[in-house]
Amino acid sequence: MSDSHHAAADDGMIHSHVEPVSHYLKIFSGLIFFTLVTVGLSYVHLGAMNLAIAILIASVKATLVVVFFMHLRHDNKFNATIFICGLMFIGVFFAYTTNDTARRENEINDVSGNHVYLGESEKHAPGGFEPPKRIVEGAKEKPEGTTKSEHH
Amino acid sequence: MSSEAATADATTEVPEGHDDHGHDEHGHNDHAHPSYLAHHFDTPQQQFDAAKVGMWAFLVQELLFFSGIFVAYGIFRSWYPEMFSAAAHQLDRPIGAGNTIVLLVSSLTAALAVREAQLGRKAGTSRYLLLTILCALIFLGVKSYEYNHKFQAGLLPGHFYHPHLHHLVEGSPALPENAHIFYSIYFMATGIHAIHILVGIGVLTWIWRRNERGDFSKEYYAGVDIAALYWHLVDLVWIYLFPLLYLID
Amino acid sequence: MATVATPGLGGKTEAHDPHESYLAEKGLKSWLFTLDHKRIGIMYLIGVLAAFLLGGILALLVRLELFTAGRTIMTAEQYNKVFSMHGIVMVFLFIIPAVPGALGNIFLPIQLGTKDVAFPRLNLTSFYVWLLGAVFGLYTMIHGGVDTGWTFYTPYSSKFTNTSVIPMLTAAFILGFSSILTGVNFIATVHTMRAPGMSWKRLPLFIWALYATSIIQVLATPVLAITLFLLIFERAFGLGIFDPSMGGDPVLFQHFFWFYSHPAVYIMIVPGMGVISEIICTFSRRAPFGYFFIAMSSLGLALLGFLVWGHHMFVAGMSEYSTMVFSALTFLVGIPSGVKVFNWVTTLYKGSISLKSPMLYALGFIFLFTIGGLTGLFLAMLAVDVHLHDTYFVVAHFHYVMVGGTVIAFVGGLHYWWPKFTGKMYNEGMARVAFALVFIGFNVTFLSQFVLGSRGMPRRYYDYLPEFQSLHQVSTIGSWILGLGFLVMLVMFVQSLQQGKDAPRNPWGSAALEWQTPTPIPFHNFVDQPVITRGPYDYHLATEAELDEGYAPGERPADADD
Repeated sequence: MSDSHHAAADDGMIHSHVEPVSHYLKIFSGLIFFTLVTVGLSYVHLGAMNLAIAILIASVKATLVVVFFMHLRHDNKFNATIFICGLMFIGVFFAYTTNDTARRENEINDVSGNHVYLGESEKHAPGGFEPPKRIVEGAKEKPEGTTKSEHH
Repeated sequence: MSSEAATADATTEVPEGHDDHGHDEHGHNDHAHPSYLAHHFDTPQQQFDAAKVGMWAFLVQELLFFSGIFVAYGIFRSWYPEMFSAAAHQLDRPIGAGNTIVLLVSSLTAALAVREAQLGRKAGTSRYLLLTILCALIFLGVKSYEYNHKFQAGLLPGHFYHPHLHHLVEGSPALPENAHIFYSIYFMATGIHAIHILVGIGVLTWIWRRNERGDFSKEYYAGVDIAALYWHLVDLVWIYLFPLLYLID
Repeated sequence: MATVATPGLGGKTEAHDPHESYLAEKGLKSWLFTLDHKRIGIMYLIGVLAAFLLGGILALLVRLELFTAGRTIMTAEQYNKVFSMHGIVMVFLFIIPAVPGALGNIFLPIQLGTKDVAFPRLNLTSFYVWLLGAVFGLYTMIHGGVDTGWTFYTPYSSKFTNTSVIPMLTAAFILGFSSILTGVNFIATVHTMRAPGMSWKRLPLFIWALYATSIIQVLATPVLAITLFLLIFERAFGLGIFDPSMGGDPVLFQHFFWFYSHPAVYIMIVPGMGVISEIICTFSRRAPFGYFFIAMSSLGLALLGFLVWGHHMFVAGMSEYSTMVFSALTFLVGIPSGVKVFNWVTTLYKGSISLKSPMLYALGFIFLFTIGGLTGLFLAMLAVDVHLHDTYFVVAHFHYVMVGGTVIAFVGGLHYWWPKFTGKMYNEGMARVAFALVFIGFNVTFLSQFVLGSRGMPRRYYDYLPEFQSLHQVSTIGSWILGLGFLVMLVMFVQSLQQGKDAPRNPWGSAALEWQTPTPIPFHNFVDQPVITRGPYDYHLATEAELDEGYAPGERPADADD
């Protein structure tokens, strides 16, 4: 049976691209390094930058895993296309939904007689209603009568 | 899907045929059709490509499955940044970081299992697969320890949220009234992730058994490869979940 | 002389004569454990037709109840359940798997010139997953059903209704998996299993449509899965993320739901468009006008389908800025849809048209889909939508697209390929009578609903004002004509199976590949591995023999080589 488009010039057998073990160890040490960096940075107060840096580092780690551990570098380009398309659609999902949720405060008003939150508060979804009052004080000091309370 | 090739395909010669249209010049016999090649594929390369394309499409659907949780996370965090910060203080960073490293190790061993399979080394493949499964079990053990603490502290989703003061982390900020949303997202995200780990353990065990049985070779290792791809995806999701849930300033 | 051996389940090999029909093997087990895509497709076909029958009966009950204002045959609670179950059965059990699962499964590998889909085992799994979902759905119906509508909007579904929402969500969750598995399988098949010479430029338009559909299935369905998963937990454990009284957001549920369910509309309609492209080319006996544009408009619809979900939520409390973005993007959907309709019409121009029953359905599709599509533009306008939202106008609009589009295309495809996969001809006269009844009945049912809706009749209402009664009665009478049409069609198909003439190899004189293989289809789809030397619509390159009787079984094109 003559072969079709997919393996035009070769014999149709699998030719795998084998990397040395040291290659995988290098990637792995990079992953560990970035994990430690991101944990360390989380103790430094940088405001909104904390989130940005955490996501950036996570993305670097994810790229390492996808490109090297998952062999996307030497794989069929179409597989990479599928993957990137998937990420783009997640982006669409996220961007379009936040496009709504981040902009609600300007328009929603109290027409129905219910108390509708306008989004100026930290505690309520814009457009949401009165949540139940369940404030819990954090344990500022070690509560009396308890020893070693952190994990049980 | 790798199991397509598990079934044997014998090509037989039948002495008497039905007609005389000259089939002998064609196909089924003059081309090597190894036992691991399913009948509807022409070549091992085609079979391997199909398995990989299918697996990547499947991984993308996994990503979109998780994306729902991430979108919910993003929206609620943008609405309630203070609450997220306060609630995340109740999660244990060193334990989370340790678990992240366990998962990264498992990803390394999964990648090395594929490498061994590419080289046709059955024993090495089995060893690394077992190491991966071991790491997965450690991850789940640590996770259940964390869950146990959350249950005792009453840091639970939605209606079940009833924090016990004496179980909270010392010196943590006050928990706002709607902190249950954080724990809803925390439990859904890590819970779905844990289900994927369980499925991964099942898949890796199955692949390990097939490897022990001698199903794989240098020429045919797609099963190991796609099981590892799945495992890397589980790792990938955790790479994002860890900083987003544990490392909120 | 080679006899091709194929693996059954469990690695047993069975010998197959290359000329033997795929229907030759008898016995229930040979069906239940088959890995043959054609048999799986037929099992899907039987399944979706059963779902269609069930959903259709529920639809007739809804229309019957609305024949008079107030109570006619059921209580308001029963009515809520019946219309909800109608929607759920029709959407999840019927329309989504109808064209890809049944017709796609049978003809995708044949049109590609290959023996099977890439993952036959996964294919069978996807059918059984569908069946499991259907069993869950039926269990819920027997258990009392749900009254949330097919959209499961929170907080009604999560906090207030006391019907069996969780089993129904589980059913929809399971059915989603079936859909994803089909999508994964088709993507891998189209990419890696094309016959020698089957380049992307020679891909039949039905394949392009199924390929676009598969992309949507893989990208959108998992979001439905996570949405339903969250809703199950919301209802069972009070997660609070969709509950406004707990700081959650019910509109977020709608975002999640429609991120899947709007693309799902294209999962429903795009394969139907592919069927129509095939039928129009065959019965006009010419290549499609603008092949490339029809193919790309399928992908365009798949892409745009992801960008417009917010138009279901214009009055749901979304931010005004967001509504404007979604409205503007929604108008863009008109472009690929328009490209398709204009190209089909232009294909007819100077074609050698034969008005056989499949072609009647195709022409009916163009007419009905155009009405359905254009009324969609009314609803995309923000100001107009405030008036028309949640009225019968919306009901009529999506029934024109879903029934007038997808169902008509599905039925047209069934007529078109019936002789090939059953090996029997049907009674053309009866088929035309059925078409006339369906076409007239459909328009009587739903044109009146456009009028009702624009006059302010809200959808899903049990009762209505007296001035709406006459139009409701017209609509109900239309539903009876429509039901009668489908009944005639059912009788016709059953008769065809029992006493139909044996179908020739190429009854419609088509140049497409699936008509070049013997009827009924051999076990491996082709007696020999086909080598593609021309496109499926190249009537100028097709030989007289191919169009008329084609090459005899076993004979191969002269220029094919091994």
